[in-house]
Amino acid sequence: MRARILIPLVLAASLAAGCAGTHDPRTGGFFGGVAGLGGGGYKDRVAEREARLAELRATQSQLDAEKGQLEAQKSEAQARVQQDQAKVDAMQADIAALEKKTKALASKQGADQKRVAELQKRLAGLKKGMNKQESSLDALEGSGLGDADTDLRRKQLETQRDALRKEYDLLMKMQMELAQ
Amino acid sequence: MRRLSAAAVFLAALLAAQCLHAAPLEAIRDILRRHLLNPPDEAALAALSDEGLPGKLRAIDPYARIFPAKEYRAPLGSGNSWVGIGAGLAMRGKTPVLHVYRGGGAEQAGVPDRSRLLDIDGRPVAGMDAEAIASLLKGEEGSAVRLGVAPPGGQKTSFTVRRQTFSPLDVELIPPGTQRVVRIREFAGGLTRPALRATLEFVSGPAPVDGKARVVIDLRDAPGGDLYEAFDLAGLFLPAGTHLGTIRGRDGYAMEIHAPQGDKFSMPLTLLVGPETASAAEIFAGILRRYDRALLVGQTTYGKCASQTDARLSDGSVLRYTNREVLFPGGDTCTGTGLTPDLAVGDDELDMLPRLVKRAQSLYQ
Repeated sequence: MRARILIPLVLAASLAAGCAGTHDPRTGGFFGGVAGLGGGGYKDRVAEREARLAELRATQSQLDAEKGQLEAQKSEAQARVQQDQAKVDAMQADIAALEKKTKALASKQGADQKRVAELQKRLAGLKKGMNKQESSLDALEGSGLGDADTDLRRKQLETQRDALRKEYDLLMKMQMELAQ
Repeated sequence: MRRLSAAAVFLAALLAAQCLHAAPLEAIRDILRRHLLNPPDEAALAALSDEGLPGKLRAIDPYARIFPAKEYRAPLGSGNSWVGIGAGLAMRGKTPVLHVYRGGGAEQAGVPDRSRLLDIDGRPVAGMDAEAIASLLKGEEGSAVRLGVAPPGGQKTSFTVRRQTFSPLDVELIPPGTQRVVRIREFAGGLTRPALRATLEFVSGPAPVDGKARVVIDLRDAPGGDLYEAFDLAGLFLPAGTHLGTIRGRDGYAMEIHAPQGDKFSMPLTLLVGPETASAAEIFAGILRRYDRALLVGQTTYGKCASQTDARLSDGSVLRYTNREVLFPGGDTCTGTGLTPDLAVGDDELDMLPRLVKRAQSLYQ
Protein backbone atom coordinates (compact mmCIF):
# COMPACT_ATOMS: atom_id res chain seq x y z
CA MET A 1 0.00 0.00 0.00
CA ARG A 2 2.69 2.43 1.02
CA ALA A 3 4.78 1.45 -1.96
CA ARG A 4 1.89 2.13 -4.31
CA ILE A 5 1.40 5.55 -2.85
CA LEU A 6 5.11 6.30 -2.82
CA ILE A 7 5.54 6.10 -6.58
CA PRO A 8 2.99 8.80 -7.37
CA LEU A 9 4.45 10.96 -4.59
CA VAL A 10 7.96 10.62 -6.00
CA LEU A 11 6.60 11.34 -9.41
CA ALA A 12 4.77 14.33 -8.04
CA ALA A 13 7.86 15.59 -6.27
CA SER A 14 9.98 15.20 -9.38
CA LEU A 15 7.38 16.92 -11.57
CA ALA A 16 6.96 19.66 -9.01
CA ALA A 17 10.71 20.18 -8.96
CA GLY A 18 10.47 21.01 -12.65
CA CYS A 19 8.48 24.10 -11.89
CA ALA A 20 9.59 24.77 -8.36
CA GLY A 21 11.24 28.01 -9.25
CA THR A 22 8.09 29.80 -10.33
CA HIS A 23 5.58 29.06 -7.55
CA ASP A 24 3.05 30.49 -9.92
CA PRO A 25 -0.45 29.42 -8.84
CA ARG A 26 -1.65 29.89 -12.43
CA THR A 27 0.73 27.20 -13.71
CA GLY A 28 0.95 24.96 -10.66
CA GLY A 29 -2.38 23.17 -10.48
CA PHE A 30 -2.39 20.13 -8.24
CA PHE A 31 1.33 19.48 -8.46
CA GLY A 32 2.20 23.03 -7.86
CA GLY A 33 -0.09 23.04 -4.87
CA VAL A 34 1.59 20.01 -3.40
CA ALA A 35 5.01 21.42 -4.06
CA GLY A 36 4.00 24.76 -2.63
CA LEU A 37 2.70 23.36 0.59
CA GLY A 38 5.56 20.86 0.86
CA GLY A 39 8.35 23.28 -0.09
CA GLY A 40 7.48 26.39 1.99
CA GLY A 41 5.99 28.06 -1.08
CA TYR A 42 2.94 29.38 0.78
CA LYS A 43 4.92 32.37 2.06
CA ASP A 44 6.25 32.90 -1.44
CA ARG A 45 2.70 32.90 -2.79
CA VAL A 46 1.63 35.47 -0.25
CA ALA A 47 4.66 37.56 -1.09
CA GLU A 48 3.96 37.11 -4.77
CA ARG A 49 0.35 38.17 -4.31
CA GLU A 50 1.43 41.20 -2.34
CA ALA A 51 3.92 42.04 -5.07
CA ARG A 52 1.22 41.69 -7.69
CA LEU A 53 -1.11 43.81 -5.64
CA ALA A 54 1.57 46.47 -5.41
CA GLU A 55 2.06 46.21 -9.17
CA LEU A 56 -1.68 46.59 -9.73
CA ARG A 57 -1.77 49.60 -7.43
CA ALA A 58 1.15 51.13 -9.32
CA THR A 59 -0.58 50.46 -12.64
CA GLN A 60 -3.80 51.91 -11.28
CA SER A 61 -2.12 55.08 -10.12
CA GLN A 62 -0.33 55.31 -13.48
CA LEU A 63 -3.70 54.99 -15.22
CA ASP A 64 -5.17 57.59 -12.89
CA ALA A 65 -2.29 59.92 -13.74
CA GLU A 66 -2.76 59.33 -17.47
CA LYS A 67 -6.49 59.86 -17.11
CA GLY A 68 -5.84 63.09 -15.25
CA GLN A 69 -3.40 64.12 -17.96
CA LEU A 70 -5.95 63.34 -20.70
CA GLU A 71 -8.63 65.25 -18.85
CA ALA A 72 -6.26 68.17 -18.42
CA GLN A 73 -5.44 68.03 -22.14
CA LYS A 74 -9.13 67.84 -22.95
CA SER A 75 -10.01 70.82 -20.78
CA GLU A 76 -6.99 72.69 -22.16
CA ALA A 77 -8.23 71.93 -25.68
CA GLN A 78 -11.74 73.02 -24.71
CA ALA A 79 -10.36 76.21 -23.22
CA ARG A 80 -8.43 76.87 -26.43
CA VAL A 81 -11.56 76.29 -28.50
CA GLN A 82 -13.45 78.68 -26.22
CA GLN A 83 -10.70 81.27 -26.60
CA ASP A 84 -10.81 80.79 -30.37
CA GLN A 85 -14.58 81.11 -30.33
CA ALA A 86 -14.31 84.33 -28.34
CA LYS A 87 -11.85 85.70 -30.93
CA VAL A 88 -14.18 84.68 -33.77
CA ASP A 89 -17.17 86.26 -31.97
CA ALA A 90 -15.22 89.49 -31.50
CA MET A 91 -14.26 89.53 -35.17
CA GLN A 92 -17.85 88.78 -36.19
CA ALA A 93 -18.96 91.80 -34.16
CA ASP A 94 -16.26 93.99 -35.79
CA ILE A 95 -17.32 92.81 -39.23
CA ALA A 96 -20.99 93.45 -38.49
CA ALA A 97 -20.09 97.03 -37.47
CA LEU A 98 -18.03 97.48 -40.62
CA GLU A 99 -20.90 96.15 -42.71
CA LYS A 100 -23.27 98.65 -41.13
CA LYS A 101 -20.91 101.52 -41.88
CA THR A 102 -20.45 100.27 -45.44
CA LYS A 103 -24.23 100.17 -45.96
CA ALA A 104 -24.46 103.75 -44.78
CA LEU A 105 -21.61 104.63 -47.12
CA ALA A 106 -23.38 103.00 -50.06
CA SER A 107 -26.43 105.20 -49.55
CA LYS A 108 -24.33 108.35 -49.16
CA GLN A 109 -24.43 110.73 -52.11
CA GLY A 110 -21.17 111.37 -53.88
CA ALA A 111 -19.52 108.20 -52.63
CA ASP A 112 -17.28 106.33 -55.03
CA GLN A 113 -19.84 103.62 -55.78
CA LYS A 114 -17.41 101.41 -57.67
CA ARG A 115 -15.06 101.22 -54.69
CA VAL A 116 -17.96 100.82 -52.29
CA ALA A 117 -19.18 97.89 -54.39
CA GLU A 118 -15.67 96.40 -54.25
CA LEU A 119 -15.64 96.89 -50.47
CA GLN A 120 -19.03 95.18 -50.16
CA LYS A 121 -17.88 92.27 -52.28
CA ARG A 122 -14.77 91.73 -50.20
CA LEU A 123 -16.75 92.14 -47.04
CA ALA A 124 -19.08 89.35 -48.18
CA GLY A 125 -16.03 87.15 -48.74
CA LEU A 126 -14.72 88.01 -45.30
CA LYS A 127 -18.06 87.13 -43.70
CA LYS A 128 -18.05 83.80 -45.49
CA GLY A 129 -14.57 83.11 -44.20
CA MET A 130 -15.59 83.94 -40.65
CA ASN A 131 -18.68 81.73 -40.85
CA LYS A 132 -16.41 78.95 -41.98
CA GLN A 133 -14.17 79.59 -38.96
CA GLU A 134 -17.15 79.26 -36.68
CA SER A 135 -18.37 75.98 -38.12
CA SER A 136 -14.84 74.57 -38.27
CA LEU A 137 -14.36 75.37 -34.59
CA ASP A 138 -17.62 73.57 -33.85
CA ALA A 139 -16.26 70.57 -35.68
CA LEU A 140 -12.82 70.70 -34.11
CA GLU A 141 -13.59 68.43 -31.21
CA GLY A 142 -15.26 65.10 -31.71
CA SER A 143 -14.59 65.05 -35.45
CA GLY A 144 -13.54 61.84 -37.10
CA LEU A 145 -10.05 63.23 -37.50
CA GLY A 146 -7.13 61.78 -35.57
CA ASP A 147 -5.04 63.80 -33.12
CA ALA A 148 -2.51 64.88 -35.74
CA ASP A 149 -5.24 66.03 -38.13
CA THR A 150 -7.01 67.87 -35.31
CA ASP A 151 -3.76 69.68 -34.52
CA LEU A 152 -3.36 70.44 -38.21
CA ARG A 153 -6.90 71.81 -38.41
CA ARG A 154 -6.27 74.01 -35.39
CA LYS A 155 -3.09 75.38 -36.98
CA GLN A 156 -4.89 75.97 -40.28
CA LEU A 157 -7.70 77.81 -38.48
CA GLU A 158 -5.25 80.02 -36.59
CA THR A 159 -3.37 80.94 -39.76
CA GLN A 160 -6.62 81.54 -41.63
CA ARG A 161 -7.90 83.73 -38.81
CA ASP A 162 -4.72 85.82 -38.97
CA ALA A 163 -5.24 86.20 -42.72
CA LEU A 164 -8.90 87.16 -42.22
CA ARG A 165 -7.88 89.70 -39.57
CA LYS A 166 -5.46 91.27 -42.08
CA GLU A 167 -8.23 91.40 -44.67
CA TYR A 168 -10.52 93.01 -42.10
CA ASP A 169 -7.87 95.64 -41.27
CA LEU A 170 -7.46 96.37 -44.97
CA LEU A 171 -11.21 96.72 -45.52
CA MET A 172 -11.52 98.91 -42.44
CA LYS A 173 -8.83 101.19 -43.87
CA MET A 174 -10.58 101.19 -47.25
CA GLN A 175 -13.88 102.07 -45.60
CA MET A 176 -12.31 104.95 -43.67
CA GLU A 177 -10.72 106.33 -46.81
CA LEU A 178 -14.04 106.16 -48.61
CA ALA A 179 -15.86 107.80 -45.72
CA GLN A 180 -13.56 110.84 -45.81
CA MET B 1 -24.23 75.62 -38.91
CA ARG B 2 -24.58 75.28 -42.60
CA ARG B 3 -24.60 71.67 -43.59
CA LEU B 4 -24.11 70.48 -47.10
CA SER B 5 -23.97 67.07 -48.58
CA ALA B 6 -20.71 66.41 -50.35
CA ALA B 7 -22.55 65.03 -53.31
CA ALA B 8 -24.85 68.03 -53.38
CA VAL B 9 -21.87 70.32 -53.78
CA PHE B 10 -20.71 68.48 -56.86
CA LEU B 11 -24.18 68.38 -58.29
CA ALA B 12 -25.48 71.84 -57.51
CA ALA B 13 -24.92 73.07 -61.03
CA LEU B 14 -26.53 70.02 -62.53
CA LEU B 15 -29.65 70.24 -60.39
CA ALA B 16 -29.96 73.95 -60.92
CA ALA B 17 -29.87 73.64 -64.66
CA GLN B 18 -32.90 71.38 -64.68
CA CYS B 19 -35.22 73.53 -62.58
CA LEU B 20 -35.18 76.68 -64.63
CA HIS B 21 -38.30 78.66 -65.39
CA ALA B 22 -38.71 81.72 -67.64
CA ALA B 23 -35.30 83.35 -67.44
CA PRO B 24 -34.91 87.07 -68.33
CA LEU B 25 -33.51 86.36 -71.77
CA GLU B 26 -32.92 89.91 -72.86
CA ALA B 27 -30.75 90.61 -69.82
CA ILE B 28 -28.78 87.44 -70.49
CA ARG B 29 -28.20 88.46 -74.10
CA ASP B 30 -27.09 91.90 -73.02
CA ILE B 31 -24.60 90.60 -70.45
CA LEU B 32 -23.09 88.10 -72.85
CA ARG B 33 -22.97 90.62 -75.66
CA ARG B 34 -21.10 93.16 -73.52
CA HIS B 35 -18.99 91.05 -71.18
CA LEU B 36 -18.37 87.54 -72.53
CA LEU B 37 -14.63 87.01 -73.05
CA ASN B 38 -15.03 86.22 -76.73
CA PRO B 39 -17.82 88.30 -78.35
CA PRO B 40 -20.71 85.94 -79.09
CA ASP B 41 -22.40 85.36 -82.38
CA GLU B 42 -25.58 87.49 -82.63
CA ALA B 43 -27.52 84.65 -84.22
CA ALA B 44 -26.69 82.39 -81.27
CA LEU B 45 -27.82 85.09 -78.85
CA ALA B 46 -31.07 85.56 -80.75
CA ALA B 47 -31.68 81.81 -80.58
CA LEU B 48 -31.66 81.77 -76.76
CA SER B 49 -35.03 80.68 -75.41
CA ASP B 50 -36.40 79.12 -72.21
CA GLU B 51 -36.58 75.78 -73.91
CA GLY B 52 -33.21 74.07 -73.69
CA LEU B 53 -31.55 77.20 -72.33
CA PRO B 54 -28.66 75.45 -70.54
CA GLY B 55 -27.62 73.70 -73.74
CA LYS B 56 -27.94 76.85 -75.84
CA LEU B 57 -25.86 78.79 -73.33
CA ARG B 58 -23.16 76.14 -73.38
CA ALA B 59 -23.05 76.39 -77.17
CA ILE B 60 -22.10 80.05 -76.74
CA ASP B 61 -19.79 79.55 -73.73
CA PRO B 62 -18.89 76.01 -72.63
CA TYR B 63 -18.77 77.13 -68.98
CA ALA B 64 -21.95 79.23 -68.95
CA ARG B 65 -24.64 78.17 -66.45
CA ILE B 66 -27.85 79.60 -65.14
CA PHE B 67 -28.98 79.04 -61.56
CA PRO B 68 -32.53 79.67 -60.30
CA ALA B 69 -32.58 82.11 -57.37
CA LYS B 70 -33.35 79.55 -54.69
CA GLU B 71 -30.68 77.13 -55.76
CA TYR B 72 -27.80 79.49 -56.29
CA ARG B 73 -24.86 79.19 -53.97
CA ALA B 74 -21.99 81.60 -54.27
CA PRO B 75 -18.72 79.90 -55.22
CA LEU B 76 -17.61 77.93 -52.23
CA GLY B 77 -15.58 79.50 -49.51
CA SER B 78 -14.23 76.03 -48.80
CA GLY B 79 -16.34 73.28 -47.31
CA ASN B 80 -18.30 73.85 -44.14
CA SER B 81 -19.63 70.92 -42.15
CA TRP B 82 -21.38 68.24 -44.13
CA VAL B 83 -23.64 65.36 -43.28
CA GLY B 84 -22.88 62.42 -45.48
CA ILE B 85 -20.57 59.55 -46.24
CA GLY B 86 -17.50 61.81 -46.25
CA ALA B 87 -16.68 61.40 -49.89
CA GLY B 88 -17.17 63.37 -53.06
CA LEU B 89 -18.73 61.79 -56.09
CA ALA B 90 -16.91 62.39 -59.36
CA MET B 91 -18.11 61.04 -62.69
CA ARG B 92 -15.23 59.84 -64.82
CA GLY B 93 -17.08 59.47 -68.09
CA LYS B 94 -19.93 57.24 -66.99
CA THR B 95 -17.97 55.72 -64.13
CA PRO B 96 -18.71 57.05 -60.63
CA VAL B 97 -15.60 57.42 -58.49
CA LEU B 98 -15.43 58.24 -54.78
CA HIS B 99 -12.98 60.86 -53.55
CA VAL B 100 -12.57 59.95 -49.89
CA TYR B 101 -12.01 62.78 -47.39
CA ARG B 102 -9.88 62.56 -44.25
CA GLY B 103 -12.01 62.04 -41.15
CA GLY B 104 -15.25 61.22 -42.95
CA GLY B 105 -17.37 58.08 -42.60
CA ALA B 106 -16.00 56.51 -45.79
CA GLU B 107 -12.42 56.81 -44.58
CA GLN B 108 -13.35 55.46 -41.16
CA ALA B 109 -15.03 52.47 -42.80
CA GLY B 110 -11.84 51.84 -44.81
CA VAL B 111 -13.08 52.77 -48.30
CA PRO B 112 -9.94 53.34 -50.40
CA ASP B 113 -9.68 56.74 -52.06
CA ARG B 114 -10.64 56.91 -55.75
CA SER B 115 -12.54 53.63 -55.63
CA ARG B 116 -15.04 52.96 -58.41
CA LEU B 117 -18.55 52.81 -57.00
CA LEU B 118 -20.36 49.66 -58.13
CA ASP B 119 -23.48 49.37 -56.01
CA ILE B 120 -25.32 51.06 -53.16
CA ASP B 121 -27.22 48.85 -50.71
CA GLY B 122 -27.04 46.09 -53.31
CA ARG B 123 -28.38 48.23 -56.13
CA PRO B 124 -25.99 48.47 -59.09
CA VAL B 125 -25.22 52.04 -60.15
CA ALA B 126 -24.09 51.25 -63.70
CA GLY B 127 -26.00 53.43 -66.12
CA MET B 128 -27.24 55.85 -63.44
CA ASP B 129 -26.47 59.53 -63.71
CA ALA B 130 -24.67 61.48 -60.97
CA GLU B 131 -27.88 62.94 -59.59
CA ALA B 132 -29.49 59.52 -59.13
CA ILE B 133 -26.37 58.11 -57.49
CA ALA B 134 -26.10 61.09 -55.16
CA SER B 135 -29.70 60.68 -54.02
CA LEU B 136 -28.92 57.09 -53.02
CA LEU B 137 -25.78 58.13 -51.17
CA LYS B 138 -27.52 60.87 -49.20
CA GLY B 139 -29.43 60.11 -46.02
CA GLU B 140 -30.11 60.99 -42.43
CA GLU B 141 -27.26 61.54 -40.01
CA GLY B 142 -26.48 58.29 -38.22
CA SER B 143 -27.90 56.05 -40.93
CA ALA B 144 -25.69 53.53 -42.69
CA VAL B 145 -25.24 52.60 -46.32
CA ARG B 146 -23.55 49.54 -47.82
CA LEU B 147 -21.23 50.41 -50.68
CA GLY B 148 -19.83 47.94 -53.17
CA VAL B 149 -16.63 49.41 -54.61
CA ALA B 150 -13.64 48.42 -56.68
CA PRO B 151 -10.51 49.98 -55.16
CA PRO B 152 -7.82 51.12 -57.63
CA GLY B 153 -6.15 47.98 -58.94
CA GLY B 154 -8.26 45.76 -56.65
CA GLN B 155 -11.24 43.45 -56.64
CA LYS B 156 -14.77 44.31 -55.62
CA THR B 157 -15.29 44.67 -51.91
CA SER B 158 -18.06 46.05 -49.70
CA PHE B 159 -18.06 48.54 -46.84
CA THR B 160 -20.75 49.73 -44.47
CA VAL B 161 -20.44 53.49 -44.16
CA ARG B 162 -22.18 55.59 -41.53
CA ARG B 163 -23.46 58.99 -42.63
CA GLN B 164 -22.19 61.57 -40.20
CA THR B 165 -21.30 65.20 -39.74
CA PHE B 166 -17.77 66.05 -40.66
CA SER B 167 -15.85 69.10 -41.63
CA PRO B 168 -13.17 68.50 -44.25
CA LEU B 169 -9.72 69.96 -43.83
CA ASP B 170 -9.01 72.81 -46.23
CA VAL B 171 -5.66 71.24 -46.99
CA GLU B 172 -5.19 67.58 -46.13
CA LEU B 173 -2.04 65.77 -45.10
CA ILE B 174 -1.89 62.25 -46.50
CA PRO B 175 0.79 59.83 -45.31
CA PRO B 176 1.40 57.13 -47.95
CA GLY B 177 4.54 55.28 -46.88
CA THR B 178 7.40 57.51 -45.88
CA GLN B 179 6.54 60.51 -48.03
CA ARG B 180 3.91 62.89 -46.75
CA VAL B 181 1.60 64.37 -49.33
CA VAL B 182 -0.27 67.65 -49.05
CA ARG B 183 -3.62 67.52 -50.82
CA ILE B 184 -5.45 70.57 -52.11
CA ARG B 185 -8.96 69.95 -53.40
CA GLU B 186 -10.14 73.51 -53.74
CA PHE B 187 -8.76 77.02 -54.10
CA ALA B 188 -11.03 78.89 -51.69
CA GLY B 189 -10.64 82.67 -51.71
CA GLY B 190 -8.65 83.89 -48.70
CA LEU B 191 -8.56 80.47 -47.05
CA THR B 192 -6.47 77.97 -49.00
CA ARG B 193 -3.25 80.00 -48.93
CA PRO B 194 -3.13 80.31 -45.12
CA ALA B 195 -4.20 76.67 -44.81
CA LEU B 196 -1.34 75.58 -47.09
CA ARG B 197 1.12 77.75 -45.19
CA ALA B 198 -0.04 76.24 -41.90
CA THR B 199 0.23 72.74 -43.35
CA LEU B 200 3.76 73.24 -44.69
CA GLU B 201 4.85 74.61 -41.33
CA PHE B 202 3.11 71.69 -39.63
CA VAL B 203 5.00 69.24 -41.85
CA SER B 204 8.34 70.84 -41.14
CA GLY B 205 7.69 71.08 -37.39
CA PRO B 206 9.07 73.87 -35.24
CA ALA B 207 12.26 74.07 -37.33
CA PRO B 208 12.14 76.51 -40.22
CA VAL B 209 11.57 75.00 -43.65
CA ASP B 210 15.12 74.33 -44.79
CA GLY B 211 14.48 74.23 -48.49
CA LYS B 212 15.79 70.68 -48.88
CA ALA B 213 12.98 68.25 -48.19
CA ARG B 214 10.76 67.87 -51.25
CA VAL B 215 7.06 68.30 -50.72
CA VAL B 216 4.47 66.53 -52.84
CA ILE B 217 1.27 68.47 -53.47
CA ASP B 218 -1.65 66.44 -54.76
CA LEU B 219 -3.83 68.37 -57.19
CA ARG B 220 -5.50 65.36 -58.82
CA ASP B 221 -8.89 66.17 -57.27
CA ALA B 222 -8.64 69.95 -57.57
CA PRO B 223 -11.19 71.20 -60.11
CA GLY B 224 -10.44 74.86 -59.43
CA GLY B 225 -11.77 77.71 -57.36
CA ASP B 226 -10.70 81.27 -56.82
CA LEU B 227 -8.33 82.60 -59.48
CA TYR B 228 -6.56 85.08 -57.19
CA GLU B 229 -6.04 82.35 -54.60
CA ALA B 230 -4.18 80.37 -57.27
CA PHE B 231 -1.86 83.33 -57.86
CA ASP B 232 -1.44 83.85 -54.11
CA LEU B 233 -0.52 80.21 -53.62
CA ALA B 234 2.03 80.30 -56.44
CA GLY B 235 3.44 83.48 -54.87
CA LEU B 236 4.31 81.53 -51.72
CA PHE B 237 7.02 79.71 -53.68
CA LEU B 238 8.40 82.51 -55.86
CA PRO B 239 10.37 85.66 -55.06
CA ALA B 240 8.41 88.85 -54.53
CA GLY B 241 7.84 90.70 -57.78
CA THR B 242 8.00 87.59 -60.00
CA HIS B 243 5.58 87.93 -62.92
CA LEU B 244 2.98 85.22 -62.32
CA GLY B 245 0.74 85.80 -65.29
CA THR B 246 -1.69 88.12 -67.01
CA ILE B 247 -5.45 88.21 -66.68
CA ARG B 248 -6.91 89.05 -70.06
CA GLY B 249 -10.43 90.41 -70.55
CA ARG B 250 -12.57 91.96 -73.26
CA ASP B 251 -11.57 95.00 -75.25
CA GLY B 252 -7.87 94.93 -74.50
CA TYR B 253 -8.22 94.58 -70.72
CA ALA B 254 -5.03 93.09 -69.27
CA MET B 255 -3.81 92.95 -65.69
CA GLU B 256 -0.37 91.64 -64.82
CA ILE B 257 -0.08 89.76 -61.54
CA HIS B 258 3.16 89.65 -59.54
CA ALA B 259 4.20 87.62 -56.52
CA PRO B 260 3.55 89.56 -53.31
CA GLN B 261 5.94 90.15 -50.41
CA GLY B 262 5.77 87.85 -47.41
CA ASP B 263 7.00 84.51 -46.14
CA LYS B 264 8.34 82.23 -48.83
CA PHE B 265 8.93 78.50 -49.05
CA SER B 266 11.98 77.28 -50.92
CA MET B 267 11.64 73.50 -50.82
CA PRO B 268 11.43 71.66 -54.17
CA LEU B 269 7.92 70.62 -55.15
CA THR B 270 6.31 67.76 -56.97
CA LEU B 271 2.75 68.32 -58.13
CA LEU B 272 0.49 65.36 -58.81
CA VAL B 273 -1.91 66.23 -61.61
CA GLY B 274 -4.54 64.50 -63.73
CA PRO B 275 -7.51 65.07 -66.01
CA GLU B 276 -9.56 66.43 -63.08
CA THR B 277 -6.94 69.07 -62.27
CA ALA B 278 -8.54 72.17 -63.72
CA SER B 279 -8.77 75.93 -63.77
CA ALA B 280 -7.20 77.56 -60.68
CA ALA B 281 -5.25 74.35 -59.97
CA GLU B 282 -3.84 74.35 -63.51
CA ILE B 283 -2.87 78.00 -63.19
CA PHE B 284 -1.05 77.31 -59.91
CA ALA B 285 0.75 74.29 -61.42
CA GLY B 286 1.52 76.05 -64.70
CA ILE B 287 3.14 79.05 -63.01
CA LEU B 288 5.34 76.91 -60.77
CA ARG B 289 6.48 74.80 -63.66
CA ARG B 290 7.21 77.84 -65.76
CA TYR B 291 9.77 78.91 -63.17
CA ASP B 292 11.14 75.37 -62.64
CA ARG B 293 9.79 75.37 -59.10
CA ALA B 294 7.87 72.14 -59.53
CA LEU B 295 7.87 68.85 -61.38
CA LEU B 296 4.52 67.64 -62.66
CA VAL B 297 3.70 63.95 -62.34
CA GLY B 298 0.51 62.25 -63.51
CA GLN B 299 -1.57 62.87 -66.59
CA THR B 300 -2.39 65.85 -68.80
CA THR B 301 -4.64 68.31 -66.99
CA TYR B 302 -8.13 69.38 -67.99
CA GLY B 303 -7.21 72.47 -70.00
CA LYS B 304 -9.15 75.44 -68.67
CA CYS B 305 -7.22 78.61 -67.97
CA ALA B 306 -10.33 80.80 -68.07
CA SER B 307 -12.36 82.23 -65.22
CA GLN B 308 -16.05 82.86 -64.79
CA THR B 309 -18.06 85.46 -62.98
CA ASP B 310 -21.63 85.46 -61.66
CA ALA B 311 -24.22 88.08 -62.56
CA ARG B 312 -27.51 88.28 -60.69
CA LEU B 313 -30.53 88.81 -62.92
CA SER B 314 -33.72 90.75 -62.21
CA ASP B 315 -35.68 87.64 -61.16
CA GLY B 316 -32.97 86.61 -58.67
CA SER B 317 -31.51 83.92 -60.89
CA VAL B 318 -27.78 84.00 -61.59
CA LEU B 319 -25.90 83.77 -64.86
CA ARG B 320 -22.37 82.40 -64.75
CA TYR B 321 -20.21 83.12 -67.79
CA THR B 322 -16.57 83.28 -68.84
CA ASN B 323 -15.11 86.76 -68.65
CA ARG B 324 -11.37 86.32 -68.17
CA GLU B 325 -8.52 84.23 -69.47
CA VAL B 326 -5.16 83.70 -67.81
CA LEU B 327 -1.96 83.83 -69.77
CA PHE B 328 1.20 82.40 -68.28
CA PRO B 329 4.40 84.46 -68.34
CA GLY B 330 5.38 84.15 -71.98
CA GLY B 331 1.83 84.63 -73.19
CA ASP B 332 0.60 81.04 -73.57
CA THR B 333 -2.51 79.55 -71.98
CA CYS B 334 -3.53 76.06 -70.93
CA THR B 335 -7.01 76.37 -72.38
CA GLY B 336 -7.73 73.54 -74.75
CA THR B 337 -4.40 71.82 -74.26
CA GLY B 338 -3.91 71.36 -70.52
CA LEU B 339 -0.51 70.91 -68.91
CA THR B 340 1.54 67.92 -69.99
CA PRO B 341 3.29 66.27 -67.02
CA ASP B 342 7.06 65.84 -66.81
CA LEU B 343 6.41 62.21 -65.93
CA ALA B 344 3.30 60.62 -67.40
CA VAL B 345 1.69 57.59 -65.74
CA GLY B 346 -1.11 55.17 -66.62
CA ASP B 347 -4.66 55.21 -65.25
CA ASP B 348 -4.08 52.62 -62.53
CA GLU B 349 -0.95 54.35 -61.30
CA LEU B 350 -2.68 57.72 -61.23
CA ASP B 351 -5.26 56.34 -58.81
CA MET B 352 -2.82 54.60 -56.47
CA LEU B 353 -1.16 57.30 -54.43
CA PRO B 354 1.69 55.27 -52.87
CA ARG B 355 2.74 53.95 -56.29
CA LEU B 356 2.40 57.37 -57.84
CA VAL B 357 4.56 58.94 -55.15
CA LYS B 358 7.16 56.20 -55.63
CA ARG B 359 7.24 56.88 -59.38
CA ALA B 360 7.54 60.58 -58.68
CA GLN B 361 10.48 59.91 -56.37
CA SER B 362 12.23 57.97 -59.16
CA LEU B 363 12.25 61.17 -61.18
CA TYR B 364 14.48 63.10 -58.84
CA GLN B 365 16.37 60.49 -56.80
